[in-house]
Amino acid sequence: MTAPDSNAAQIAAAAAAANALPPAADERPEWTPRAEMTVLNREIPRLDGPQKVTGRARYTHDVRLPGMVYARLVVTPYARADVGRISLTAARKVPGVVYAETVKADDEGVRYQGYDGILVVVAAETPEAAEDGVRAVRAKVTPLRPPLVTPEQALADGAPQITRRGNVSSESSRGDSDAAAAALEGCDAVVEATYTLPVQHHVCLETHGCVVDYRGGDSATVYHSSQYVTGGPQEFAQYLELPRGNVRVICEHMGGGFGSKFGAGTEGLLACQTAKALGRPVHLMLTREDEFLMAGNRSGSKQRMVGGATKDGKLRALLVEADRLGGVGQGSLPTPPYIYDVETSWSRLRSVHTATDSNRAQRSPGHPQASFAMESLVDELAYALSIDPLAMRLANLSDPVYHRQLQRAAREIGWDAHPHKTAHGAPDADGRALGIGFGVSTWGSSSRPDAIVEVRIHPDGSLEVSNAVQDIGQGSRTLVAAIVAEEFGLPVSAVTPRIGDSSLPTSVYSGGSITTGSVAPAVKDAAFNARTALAARVATALGVEPDTLVFRGGRVEVRDDPSVGMSWKGACALLGGDPLTASGKYRDHLHGERVHGAQAAKVSVDVLTGRVRVLRMVCVQDQGIPFNRMALRSQINGGLIQALSYGLFEERVIDPIHGVMLSDDLEAYKIAGAQEMPEFTVILDDDDDRQAAMGMAEAPNIPGHGAIANAVYNACGVRVRDMPLTPDKILTKWLEMQR
Amino acid sequence: MNAFAWQRPGTVAQAAALLPSDVDDRSAALMAGGQDLLTELRNHLVEPERVVSLKGVAGLDALRFESDGSLVIGALVTLERLAADAQVRARLAVLAEAALSVGSPQIRAAGTVGGNLNQRPRCWYYRNEAMVCLKKGGDECFAQSGMNKYNAILGGGPSYIVHPSDLAPALVALSAEATLVSPRGARTLKLEDFYKLPSEVGPQRETVRAGDEVMTEVRVPAPAPGMRSTYAKFKERGSYDWALSAVALCLWTSGGAIADARLVLGGVAPKPWRTPSTEALLKGRVVDDETCRLAGVEALRGAAPLADNGYKIPLTQGLLTRALRSLS
Ligand SMILES: Cc1cc2nc3c(=O)[nH]c(=O)nc-3n(C[C@@H](O)[C@@H](O)[C@H](O)COP(=O)(O)OP(=O)(O)OC[C@H]3O[C@@H](n4cnc5c(N)ncnc54)[C@H](O)[C@@H]3O)c2cc1C
Ligand code: SF4
Repeated sequence: MTAPDSNAAQIAAAAAAANALPPAADERPEWTPRAEMTVLNREIPRLDGPQKVTGRARYTHDVRLPGMVYARLVVTPYARADVGRISLTAARKVPGVVYAETVKADDEGVRYQGYDGILVVVAAETPEAAEDGVRAVRAKVTPLRPPLVTPEQALADGAPQITRRGNVSSESSRGDSDAAAAALEGCDAVVEATYTLPVQHHVCLETHGCVVDYRGGDSATVYHSSQYVTGGPQEFAQYLELPRGNVRVICEHMGGGFGSKFGAGTEGLLACQTAKALGRPVHLMLTREDEFLMAGNRSGSKQRMVGGATKDGKLRALLVEADRLGGVGQGSLPTPPYIYDVETSWSRLRSVHTATDSNRAQRSPGHPQASFAMESLVDELAYALSIDPLAMRLANLSDPVYHRQLQRAAREIGWDAHPHKTAHGAPDADGRALGIGFGVSTWGSSSRPDAIVEVRIHPDGSLEVSNAVQDIGQGSRTLVAAIVAEEFGLPVSAVTPRIGDSSLPTSVYSGGSITTGSVAPAVKDAAFNARTALAARVATALGVEPDTLVFRGGRVEVRDDPSVGMSWKGACALLGGDPLTASGKYRDHLHGERVHGAQAAKVSVDVLTGRVRVLRMVCVQDQGIPFNRMALRSQINGGLIQALSYGLFEERVIDPIHGVMLSDDLEAYKIAGAQEMPEFTVILDDDDDRQAAMGMAEAPNIPGHGAIANAVYNACGVRVRDMPLTPDKILTKWLEMQR
Repeated sequence: MNAFAWQRPGTVAQAAALLPSDVDDRSAALMAGGQDLLTELRNHLVEPERVVSLKGVAGLDALRFESDGSLVIGALVTLERLAADAQVRARLAVLAEAALSVGSPQIRAAGTVGGNLNQRPRCWYYRNEAMVCLKKGGDECFAQSGMNKYNAILGGGPSYIVHPSDLAPALVALSAEATLVSPRGARTLKLEDFYKLPSEVGPQRETVRAGDEVMTEVRVPAPAPGMRSTYAKFKERGSYDWALSAVALCLWTSGGAIADARLVLGGVAPKPWRTPSTEALLKGRVVDDETCRLAGVEALRGAAPLADNGYKIPLTQGLLTRALRSLS
């Protein structure tokens, strides 16, 4: 997988270029004050919404090219296996099959579940023929035992080595364990607990893959379901052995990425090899089973914690030993304590490897895991001290933003009137108990300096904005158009956005909530430059100074004397025959960092069945300028839904004896559906007056499941420390409590 | 799925004649709505050379109450139609509720009654092609010592599947009968006797159906007057899911006490699980906490959970309590 950092050189070069030409101070673009905005800071329906809901939007999966073949993979279901002779004779004889090649060298075994389990690639004229070809491949595969799919198996004495780094790697510690242990002595309450989280899949509705349009010669176009269109040509050119400039990557629409689609992946490499061998376009999209086996995941985690607090609710001591469970990957987990202030803390983190698919970035990598453990621990200490868990949180959060947001969330969810705040409640006569829980989140929302944007004004008044950025669902297509529309006092519909194509000006990847913070400043800069240039033409025609002109309501006019001016079309007609093109680049002063959120969840727990029903989720979230309030709310809803689904259902299941994945479809890998949806109350924190562009998509995904778990405890006293909160666990714990 | 020949007979007799009589001969498969069969084909659990569609057979879509109060349900009646029928909802609530609890609207629109009653199990080892367990002719039940959260707590061994059909417990509670037609003629049997445990018919089958028998209709006799009924199904996920446990309950009361009861459990055993001793216990009692408790203990008597499915005992007891209370 290509880490986004592999383009570091490119990024550095762009940064140098950006710094080489410091703009004159008086020409600096500045964001329009929010109250004066006419397009932004409003509800802007997504421009591609109608296309998407009517099925007209073309995804990578939908690409059909003349002469195209369909490729499929032969994948072993076992985590580790010896592979004997692979026979392709029968597969090659299947009518329609045009290609069948082994991926493995002779005697090369399967060392882990994931990319290493791919044995053969088959390509055929139709998907059906390709599948028949896959079925006709004969391979002698002998599963190895133990399969090394659990941390216990990997850590057992004499366990075979899983990765080159061993079965445990990347150990690090922070703080002084003796000091932290000593600090526990002075505490009024100490909680010792182990919190575990399962491996979660991204579950992109569109599986991973690409269509490589290569027919021989020295150039190619690749349709790729990608979170990094600009970065695509580098990788695909390498795989196709073509000059980078001759490879174009296109991603018009995307069916989800969530951090798992930065690179071409092995599927991309194999598609390129097949296309090269055949000189024909190749369609290679993973099946759902392949996707679950090899397309990455959120690492699991096991966190052993000892925490102590004093009567005043202050967190005094914390000791954490945590395992990141990222398969053959490193896994991710921020260093504890997460968000909260703890006087003395010590932690030791390590990666425990298993012979399973590597984790990848997934929406707020590591944070939901850390958040669950820390929010649970804070909650447990609050109840142990008979302190209101809201007050306990406020006592240990120094940033005043959290105080404002938590109090708002508490007000919305009805915490004041809630009957049991410092001890858990009990079920009613029918067996149902109500509870409320809280959690907070943070995200850095940094930026990258490489975005370059072009704005083009045509003499007929039409307007284009171009940047290679992909719209992975966050609404970047709509955003780039809206920023330009705002600049020119036009409706969004007056602007044509061109995105999702590597032949357009450079953009950034979509990951780590950097897209908006990196692209919006460059769009603003380009729009500002275009407006300045057009204003100069209009000023000359009107015989006024350019800086007296304003663009508003479809006109260009003198600010204090609107009778002097002309229509937008009239202004553009001044351009004569040629369009006006202006480019813009990333401007750091237009970007801001660090977002905050607070969430509250209200649940009903049925102690007769163990069902947790989430009734309501409240999220208060800041994000600098709320460019598109509708898109923001929908991002936040999505984050809440993902957290709810993670908290209630999601869990990868691999049989520990045979190493076969049992949850390899959407029947067994359960995700929340319409029936599980609570009422969502999403509050954009308008008290955040930072006039800055920043992304925030990671943050809403972080604390929801922890808040739900805390609400379950508040309802009935059942504390689940191993996610997800499935009915079997709730019921078993409830009955233990009754004994 | 593999390529197959598509056969579309026009009569039941023609359909039956196209099927091999031996259940172990999988060269042809019968298909109604395809909601289960297609998943089996896709996962290569069956690889028939021929698929025989029932959809061209006329006369299998009756849904009517006879003058004697019995209900006739043709095998091709969809779950959607059954769930929405006003008469069925008013007179046989347990059946309408069971039909409505199945899958998603899409599944109910295509899925039929015959297909629902004859569907194959969902055990995730069975559904995974790589795992050749007892049910697929292998020599081990992987669930027994493996991941068995969803498996049987009653009547298990040597296979521990739970029967997946939601209609089956409801129809068994209603004392329904099914008619099966083969080239040898027709036979009608109680649905209760149609389903069998793995210990009775071996781990590879769930019913006594011969390979060439087509289920043509199900008949629900008129219930004794005054019946109230309900189907309490618990699914882990609301949107579409099979039962972790389900309770089909028909109750007759007189003077505040239970005069008679039929109780069948779903999702906990390889077949719809009747518990006559619980029905006997309920007779003459009023529905109160003690009755619910005693009935719960009796209904789960003999339960032998595996490592991960012990929760099904209290879950089923909770559902039974809810069902009893909702009808009293
Ligand atoms: C996502 C999903 C969720 C589901 N959820 C549920 C659920 O909650 N509860 C539930 O009960 N089911 C559920 N199902 C199973 C669903 O397939 C059945 O409920 C449906 O009724 C099957 O009917 P069908 O007509 O589509 O059957 P088909 O797939 O056509 O047939 C199923 C089986 O029955 C046999 N068969 C069909 N008709 C006859 C007949 N007349 N005589 C003899 N044999 C016959 C076929 O040979 C086949 O083996 C679900 C299925 C899916 C895919
Ligand atoms: S319960 Fe039955 S289907 Fe499941 S593994 Fe055991 S034998 Fe196979």
